[in-house]
Amino acid sequence: MKDVIISKLGELVDELAKDDGQKKAWEDFLVDFAGVCEKAGIKEELKTSVSNLLQHISEKEMSDGIGLLHTKIDNFPAVDAYKALIEVLGQKNDENLVRIAELRDVLSELATPIIRLWQDVLLVPVIGTLDSQRAQNMAEKLLESISNIRSKVVIVDVTGVNMIDTIVGEFLIEMFSAVKLLGSDVVLTGIKPDIAHTLVKLGIDFDMVVIKRDLESALKYAISLSTKDTEKKLVNPKRGDTDEE
Amino acid sequence: MDDKNFDDIVINVHDYDMVLKIKDESDIAVSRQMAKSFAQKNNFSLADITKIATTVSELSRNIYRYAKEGQIYIKKKEKELDKDVSIEIVAYDRGPGIENVERALAGGYTTSERSLGLGLSGVKRLMDRFYIVSEVGKGTIVVLEKRRRGF
Repeated sequence: MKDVIISKLGELVDELAKDDGQKKAWEDFLVDFAGVCEKAGIKEELKTSVSNLLQHISEKEMSDGIGLLHTKIDNFPAVDAYKALIEVLGQKNDENLVRIAELRDVLSELATPIIRLWQDVLLVPVIGTLDSQRAQNMAEKLLESISNIRSKVVIVDVTGVNMIDTIVGEFLIEMFSAVKLLGSDVVLTGIKPDIAHTLVKLGIDFDMVVIKRDLESALKYAISLSTKDTEKKLVNPKRGDTDEE
Repeated sequence: MDDKNFDDIVINVHDYDMVLKIKDESDIAVSRQMAKSFAQKNNFSLADITKIATTVSELSRNIYRYAKEGQIYIKKKEKELDKDVSIEIVAYDRGPGIENVERALAGGYTTSERSLGLGLSGVKRLMDRFYIVSEVGKGTIVVLEKRRRGF
């Protein structure tokens, strides 16, 4: 078989390659193949050449190519070649899964900043899709910061969320209640019109918190809340909010 | 609404434009995204796209939470070319089934600890047609339809 391949090499490469760029890759593959085709354990040997070839062509082209070789060359070990291809693809898939998991970790670190906007005012811009893992992380981080900074108002901005279903709604309600238990107020802002409609139909309301129409008015309101408290104390330090500090 | 049994309902995969497997939590986000782009492609209004995406999210969440795995089927229906267009969504699982469907639909009822129990009743309000068959020990099928509004 080795001699057949070598003698027909140019012809085979012309038929296999879809364009000139692929010719070199197929040629390498066939030379590799000719080298190992008479050895035992051909499948393992083939895996390296298959994965090299896949750097240059698609899975479909590879599989078509094996089919073509099967018709052109007598006794071509198509079964072994397909097995090698499937195993290489399986490995690739596993690698991709690991990569996705890593990217998810990176994303969860990136996507939940908690910003101190003003004295006693925190901003939480919620972005993207909330799954239970991310929601948990975010709530923990927020509650931690509130108690560390002793903030009075938390602005939660959901402009970056394109969908609120009952789970996300539930999570937000839970988070708001926890924030209030720490003695902070919550201002919610950034709900889009289509989401508002969906929320009403779903029967979710956020009536436990103050809602403002944009970040600007939310910030004004939050600052007025936090400064009002301070002014009161300055005017009449003996009465009122003394228990708070 | 005709009363059918769970076993009477046969879903033919080839009738649907999209079949989404639900097995992991990340499948919920994927199916929602696919449903959203499907509705977008068929020129639904933004409000309805959000409703469809939310519905698929709720249904796949229910599948993941109660049945562990199942499928969401989506197809486009039209009487004539581009007339009376609607999207049909089917959620299918062979999970534990719902013991009291009416109570689940009334809202505020849940068997899960961390839940508002609004999912199914909310979905019913978001859609134009809602049909559910559930048998304890066999599974649950929810069939929904959303019509495209004229502009």
